[in-house]
Amino acid sequence: MSNFMKLIWNEQIKLYAKKATWVMFAVLLVIAIGGGLITKFFGTESDFKEYGDNWQTELQEENAQLTAEMQDEEFGGFMNDMIIAENSYHLENNIKPQPYDGWEYVLENSFLTSVISLFTIIVAAGIISNEFKWGTIKLLLIRPISRTKILFSKYVSVLIFALTMLVFLLLSSWLVGALLFGLNGLNPMVVQDMMPGYAHNDVLGEIAKSYGFSIVTLVMMATFAFMISAIFRSSGMAIGLAIFLMMAGNAIVAFLSQYEWSKFILFANTNLAQYTNGMEPMIPGMSMTFSIIVLLVYFAIFLGAAWAAFTKRDVAGN
Amino acid sequence: MSKPAMQLVNLKKTIGNKPIIKGLDFEIRAGEVFGFLGPNGAGKTTTIRMMVGLIDITEGDVLIEGKSIKTDFKGAIQHVGAIVENPEMYPFLSGWKNLKQYARMVEGVTDERIKEVVSLVGLEKAIHEKAGRYSLGMRQRLGIAQALLHGPSILILDEPTNGLDPSGIREIRKYIRNLAEKENVAVIVSSHLLTEIELMCDRIGVIKNGELIAIEEVRTVENEEALKEVYIEVEPMETAKTYLDTHLPNAVGVGSKELSMSVKREEIPQILKNLMEQGISIYGVRVLQATLEDKFFDLIGENSIE
Repeated sequence: MSNFMKLIWNEQIKLYAKKATWVMFAVLLVIAIGGGLITKFFGTESDFKEYGDNWQTELQEENAQLTAEMQDEEFGGFMNDMIIAENSYHLENNIKPQPYDGWEYVLENSFLTSVISLFTIIVAAGIISNEFKWGTIKLLLIRPISRTKILFSKYVSVLIFALTMLVFLLLSSWLVGALLFGLNGLNPMVVQDMMPGYAHNDVLGEIAKSYGFSIVTLVMMATFAFMISAIFRSSGMAIGLAIFLMMAGNAIVAFLSQYEWSKFILFANTNLAQYTNGMEPMIPGMSMTFSIIVLLVYFAIFLGAAWAAFTKRDVAGN
Repeated sequence: MSKPAMQLVNLKKTIGNKPIIKGLDFEIRAGEVFGFLGPNGAGKTTTIRMMVGLIDITEGDVLIEGKSIKTDFKGAIQHVGAIVENPEMYPFLSGWKNLKQYARMVEGVTDERIKEVVSLVGLEKAIHEKAGRYSLGMRQRLGIAQALLHGPSILILDEPTNGLDPSGIREIRKYIRNLAEKENVAVIVSSHLLTEIELMCDRIGVIKNGELIAIEEVRTVENEEALKEVYIEVEPMETAKTYLDTHLPNAVGVGSKELSMSVKREEIPQILKNLMEQGISIYGVRVLQATLEDKFFDLIGENSIE
């Protein structure tokens, strides 16, 4: 086992010896800081408003004012509608509104996991094909270590990279959020627009859910890129295909959704959030269990194909 | 007779329907430097790739210290250090970090061992520079260092002197001979540079179109009985020719300054003595050695890739 850990250690050294990897982290950090600054200086005023003891009265006054505004102006009613609806939810459920804080910023930044997916795809696509490009694969495979072990040390390294980026995103978002907006306690409750309706949830649970669900797409696409890289030994092809499918996945499903079998398409199943909060699944007849099974089957196929290509094929040419 | 370090048993490789290697049978002994010689496209690299398990063996087997590379890959490959084709390294890592990568993949390679190997190949000064900045010669040295890290009993070097300057070549040659003689390592050197092989190797296997067409000792004992081409620079030429013709009928040719003749080695002193007694001045004598190069071209004929 220590043998396997050393292989992973080797992979991590190679990964972080490259400038491109650090650029990825820098990009993520810049987005986290930039997003924070934009929210701070161009965000909706009402989000940051601090309410006093008689917040109920304040909210009622606000709603009245917004309703009046909407009668004067023809446009811009949508924002006002939303604020009014949210205010009403607070009033009905007797929840005092809290100003926007660092936790909410972390929660909002969960969309950046798609950026992490992108970077992870790039890393997964290169981790095998680069060895072929550099010619070092020959030196790697003439050690007393099975090809299977080398392949999985690379795969695990990709997952570790993704996890590192995820932790980095959480930490940097939290720090930026805490510095710019402060924190409303250790695990404040937040009111969320569930479309339709609102809900009152604790923020840590929501963060875990939102990041957790996004990991599914991340892992599936990284595994896909890894497989392509192992089969075709070309990172360009792996990156291109994986990113294209990640972007076009939902469109493909929508296009084919009229067919019964479309529920077996990978992208119809990657968004497990579709089964929570009483939402309708993409295609009728699907369930959480169904999707998880489909995902596991795809996962096994991807890794199996990568394994077969990597362990069975001749290393010649170049 | 030392036991074979590596044995090739009816080794074959077929790609598609095309036989690339058509049944190689030979062995390499511990402590010898074995030259693997052949024109481009003869199958040298394919054979080496099969020896180290990079490509599948279609038929036959490679036994390393008695262990099959097919069925006991780990048991077999742990005795092998190799450079296959070019010595490729991670360009973004220093020489040292490159070696550390490989050190982590086997048991028991300490930092002291790495330092030892680095000084063996004479790369101490540049070892902490990025390998991407290395010259081909430095990469070659790093490649050899990488192959030697775990103290293998078989060393396979594909074109090891490629890109080295003459002094580097001599050093590597000395070092390879040393490994074979002092540490009893079996060294397999592939090359198309005939003079290199001749200087370095004990035995040579010549491969052409995937077949072993000859295998022989380099330092064969000189055959006393064989006729040799002897060139003698003399003056005056005509007198010498007339004189020699009477003694060696039909054997004397005339060059611009030299007379050439085919004689046995033992006859040479007598011929020179006779010429001198005739008052003929001798300015030089040379005996043409049949070099490996001649043998090589005799064996393989035209370099044709099928």
